[in-house]
Amino acid sequence: MQIWSWHGFFTYLGSPYIFCGALITVYMTAVSMMMGFLLGLLIAVTKRSQRRLLSWPARFYVWFFRGTPLLVQLVVIYAGLPKLDIRLSVMACSIIGLTLNEAAYLAEIIRAGLNAVPTGQIAAARALGLSERQIAWRIAFPQAFRLIIPPLGNSVNGLLKTTSVTSVISMEELMQRSQILVQDQFMVLELFSVAALYYLLMTTAWDFLQRRIEHYAERPYRRQQKSVSVEATKLSVATQDAR
Amino acid sequence: MITLDNVTKSYGAFQVLKGCSAEIGRGEVVVVCGPSGSGKSTLIKCINALETFEGGQIWVDGLAVRSAQTDHSALRAKAGMVFQSFELFSHLSILDNIMLAPHLVQKRVKDEIREHAKTLLRRVGLERHADKYPIALSGGQQQRAAIARALAMKPDVMLFDEPTSALDPEMVQEVLQVMMELACEGMTMMCVTHEMGFARQVATRILFVDAGEIVDDCPAADFFAGRCSVRAQAFLRFEADHPG
Ligand SMILES: Nc1ncnc2c1ncn2[C@@H]1O[C@H](COP(=O)(O)OP(=O)(O)OP(=O)(O)O)[C@@H](O)[C@H]1O
Ligand SMILES: [Mg+2]
Repeated sequence: MQIWSWHGFFTYLGSPYIFCGALITVYMTAVSMMMGFLLGLLIAVTKRSQRRLLSWPARFYVWFFRGTPLLVQLVVIYAGLPKLDIRLSVMACSIIGLTLNEAAYLAEIIRAGLNAVPTGQIAAARALGLSERQIAWRIAFPQAFRLIIPPLGNSVNGLLKTTSVTSVISMEELMQRSQILVQDQFMVLELFSVAALYYLLMTTAWDFLQRRIEHYAERPYRRQQKSVSVEATKLSVATQDAR
Repeated sequence: MITLDNVTKSYGAFQVLKGCSAEIGRGEVVVVCGPSGSGKSTLIKCINALETFEGGQIWVDGLAVRSAQTDHSALRAKAGMVFQSFELFSHLSILDNIMLAPHLVQKRVKDEIREHAKTLLRRVGLERHADKYPIALSGGQQQRAAIARALAMKPDVMLFDEPTSALDPEMVQEVLQVMMELACEGMTMMCVTHEMGFARQVATRILFVDAGEIVDDCPAADFFAGRCSVRAQAFLRFEADHPG
């Protein structure tokens, strides 16, 4: 057996089977991330609540899902739900597992973001008569979101690779498909290199997307703004000072 | 307009407000002064329910502040508030800062709010900065924008908590100027400040607070002529020696 087969490498790189595996990975990441974010937001808000009845279940949730391996959670969902007569596809089980697990981590990230929103602005919003709900949606969430983009980016990046854990419940994503093909011709190195390349491609695409999102969210916080030039600003300050 | 009736408040064992009573009529400009930590901020924040209090009652235009029936939104719409550190919403443009509450709380029509906001911005000299974000403005400009934001709710009374304390000296005047114009137009104002010059010029009454009590409540003229408590006289001498 030769050490490295370029032919094998490029064959697998061009393989629609592997390519679709990568698409499935992207799909699982996107769906779990979005649902996990919404669930995480809910958990973060309830965990911050003054009322024990709300905060305690949220604390329990985070404690439980961060304290047990994702692998175990997936197997329990996959093997446990049918016993309750709930029959779901492997994909559904995978996404449920990933979502529940990710939500626990995202909740902590979101909570950190909410804690970092200046309390003075919250007080100002209250003084203007905004309801707590309006303050959350109009002031706290938008500002917290900007603050947590970097850690959220970490999460997306991590999740892209963590999806491979779902192979234990036979989810045919990128990693599982690579392993299936290994059985075929035993080109482990070539196959796993192709998989690594795909993961790199996906994380790089995400890096790019994250930069765009960050750029957008940072807009209000850049000192140079809009079409108003520095000269014009100086001029207006000067005229005001003359008033 | 505002009635304070024996207001008391404690943080644990520490009593911040020890039975404060006062009456502020429509169109009055009341300056609240006193040493640091005496409870001035706490007192003014009790008026729009940003702080809770345990004893006594406050009425704002007939609305009881410490009451389960009172709608805090309605109360706060009556009393505009300006903070020491401006507290503009940093993710919104100046115009959006001003338009947010009239839209969300008072449900006024967008076009009308925008016109009103632009008028207010002109009034505080910021019409050219409507589309900027707070970070691009100087402290004085931010505070003027914050005043415009409070005025956009068409409040019956304006509360100021040391509006110029966080400003560089050269910006203090531009903010005081706006406040003076407001006072001249007949706005009811309650203002915590160390700017004795401002107090001398526009205040109709002075409340001198020390250690959680309103020690003096007298016309500004009397206060500055020395017809006030010994504690207030000592405070005035101190302020004269340490301006700003
Ligand atoms: N959350 C709090 N917990 C405990 N004590 C507090 C709290 N907030 C304020 N205090 C205390 O209450 C007292 C009054 O505070 P307040 O901010 O009203 O003073 P102030 O007169 O506005 O002072 P300054 O001129 O420095 O702004 C202070 O002694 C302060 O230490
Ligand atoms: Mg204060």
